[in-house]
Amino acid sequence: MIGPTTLHVRSINHKNAPTEMREKAHLDPERAAQLMDALGGHLADENHVPSESENGCISVIPVSTCNRTEIYLEVTEGTDADALLRRCLAEVGADADIFFSEHATALQNLDAVRHLYGVSAGLESMMLGEPQISAQLKDAYRQARSHHEPGPGLMRAFQGAFRAGKRVRTETRISVGAVSVAFAAVELARKFFDKLCDHRAVLVGAGETGGLAARHFLQHNIGNLTVVNRSLDNAETLADTLRAERKAGLDKKAEKNSGGLLAPAPDPQGKCGKIFVRPWEELTDALAEADVILSTTGATEPVILPDMVNAAVSRRKGKPLFLLDIAVPRDVHPDVANIGNVFTFGLDDLDGIIQGNLAARAGQLPHAQGIIEEELEEFQRWLEEIDIRPTVAEFKAYLEDLKDKQVGFVRKKQSDEVAAAVDKSLQQFIKKVLGRSVSTLKSAQTKEERERDLETLRRIFAPEDRD
Amino acid sequence: MITLMSVFKILMPMLYLVVWGTYIWLFYTDHPTARRLCTRFAMSTVILHTLCTASRGIILGRLPMGAPAEFFCALALAMLATYLVIEIRIKAKNTGFLVTGVSFLFVFVGSAFSTTTPEVSPFLKDPGFAAHAVLVLFAYTALSLSFLYAMLYLILNRQLMKHQFGLLFRRSPSLEVLERMSVGAVKMGVPLLFASLCLGHLWMYDLADRVDSEMAVMLSPWDPKILISWLILLGYSVGLLGNRFLGWRGKRMNIMAVVAFFTVVSAMGLVYHFFPSFHNFKSNQPISALSGFPETAAEMLALNEEAGR
Repeated sequence: MIGPTTLHVRSINHKNAPTEMREKAHLDPERAAQLMDALGGHLADENHVPSESENGCISVIPVSTCNRTEIYLEVTEGTDADALLRRCLAEVGADADIFFSEHATALQNLDAVRHLYGVSAGLESMMLGEPQISAQLKDAYRQARSHHEPGPGLMRAFQGAFRAGKRVRTETRISVGAVSVAFAAVELARKFFDKLCDHRAVLVGAGETGGLAARHFLQHNIGNLTVVNRSLDNAETLADTLRAERKAGLDKKAEKNSGGLLAPAPDPQGKCGKIFVRPWEELTDALAEADVILSTTGATEPVILPDMVNAAVSRRKGKPLFLLDIAVPRDVHPDVANIGNVFTFGLDDLDGIIQGNLAARAGQLPHAQGIIEEELEEFQRWLEEIDIRPTVAEFKAYLEDLKDKQVGFVRKKQSDEVAAAVDKSLQQFIKKVLGRSVSTLKSAQTKEERERDLETLRRIFAPEDRD
Repeated sequence: MITLMSVFKILMPMLYLVVWGTYIWLFYTDHPTARRLCTRFAMSTVILHTLCTASRGIILGRLPMGAPAEFFCALALAMLATYLVIEIRIKAKNTGFLVTGVSFLFVFVGSAFSTTTPEVSPFLKDPGFAAHAVLVLFAYTALSLSFLYAMLYLILNRQLMKHQFGLLFRRSPSLEVLERMSVGAVKMGVPLLFASLCLGHLWMYDLADRVDSEMAVMLSPWDPKILISWLILLGYSVGLLGNRFLGWRGKRMNIMAVVAFFTVVSAMGLVYHFFPSFHNFKSNQPISALSGFPETAAEMLALNEEAGR
């Protein structure tokens, strides 16, 4: 049985530490496991109920991502968590000093839980509201659970954090809107086209940036993507890579589906995401046939010229042509912007969209923080009851025992119906007595007073005193 | 029953206000609760308003579209119902605040100025005419919505062209969806207008059998208002065919929708002012004084003159 515990977190993140510090603080899965071993948070009794180790540690959950390394600790009250953590970090060969430098944030109990809830909801992320952190936290929790049974405080805190994160994402718009260039490009395209699957895209250039943008469009199920590049070989190579990645991605989703996880099949009819290659000479034809043009070549002069676009537009029957130029220097000739039904956008436009989305996300912060406070209140309520729960359980067991004896006695003398009625009546009686007892215990003004009340209850109904 | 009607008179604007408020909430915040509730509220309001209108029709023994106030209420109902059909078909809710706002305005005006015994034309007692009038109302409402969505398309198109990424950019549906909504509204409006014209013709011939020969002559299919309606139907049908078979899309199609609507409004206005028409069903006489249809041309002319004054 665990006595009163305290929760602690040491956090090194993008807000308080530069990249090189974060790199030093990073804990890979192996080192995280070693840390859990060193802290002794693996101890559990035969029923997998967590118990404290000799050093006072109940459980530990390390979380390490590219932007943050955090160590959540639950220790018995009175344990020097800092000294314990410093010693164990040193034991496993991690740079303990970083975690105790000015680059680290240390929080305890409710503040630590508030921080965890904020992290889970993406409020502490570099890109406000980003969703990946939630999955990373779940991974860390799963990893820790596979190693040891977390203590009641940390278990409750993490479960609450997952719930808070989910609520924030579903009840607010904190995760809505693109905050990366490639995703902003997709978002912009979706202002023209409802279902990308019904449309064609052309990628002009086969470089790294183009590949990234193309991946986002494929991820959002563009109907088909044609790579046009001066070097046909490079275009073929990129197309092959994209095809392989898409196939692997779909297979992975299929696997997840079979495992019962939520991963809706994005393209049940298999009509989206087809990838083709065309030679550079057919660029004008490709422009005429596509709805979305992504241009990312490394050319020093514009490669998409007004004549080419005019020729393409005349074949499009009034359908708008969406041209996205994310090359520096620009690939699309400035005069193209003056052609009717042609919309040209560049990196500055995408940046404008991202800034607008970030501002909109920031506007959701008060609502998100409100949700977190609600969840924290829930945690606090649980926390307030945690010390009375074992005693109340003992008291309940005692009352149930008495009730069973009384009912057994009645059953011998009376019919089963009468016994059942007595049983039901006594159950009601126990419920009322327990309810009154719990509310009385909760109403204690000070911790000492509550301890005294609990002690009194324990003395009256202690298991060893029964019968 | 009269008490119930009075309750509805107060309740309807409130319901429309709630619907409008929910759609505004959705537009500005895109809150999931607003997204979930707006369609339900709108649907409940349409159902209640339909029941209310039907009850009123039963009580009055005629189509409740005689007085201007009644017409405004009917227009509000037609707008909201037509919008709901388009919203459910296209699955785009973020433009609802515009239509529901206009609907609220109409129902508010209708309720604020309604009278318990409006002076109406006896034609409204005829089921054939009632069906014709309802179809016409829905048809022109659908064409108005097409205009509204075409305007939204052109505004968003202009914002994109000018690289302005404001609230409309973030909240409005894509250009493609706006175009689908505009074309979808025309697709609703054209068959409704066709049905209403056919029904109108049938009703006209039926009425001609019941009135004297002088009056029957006035009931002509060459009435300017009927002719212009057929031309409107033809114009919109050509637009639909062009969209379906000739690939009329994008800005051009939406400009055509806007121009078509302005043409409809101007043409109707001109016809009303400059050409005589038997299509004038207003009356200043109390309903109790008009137990049946005007059976002579003199009665009809008297009715029209009365209405003109």
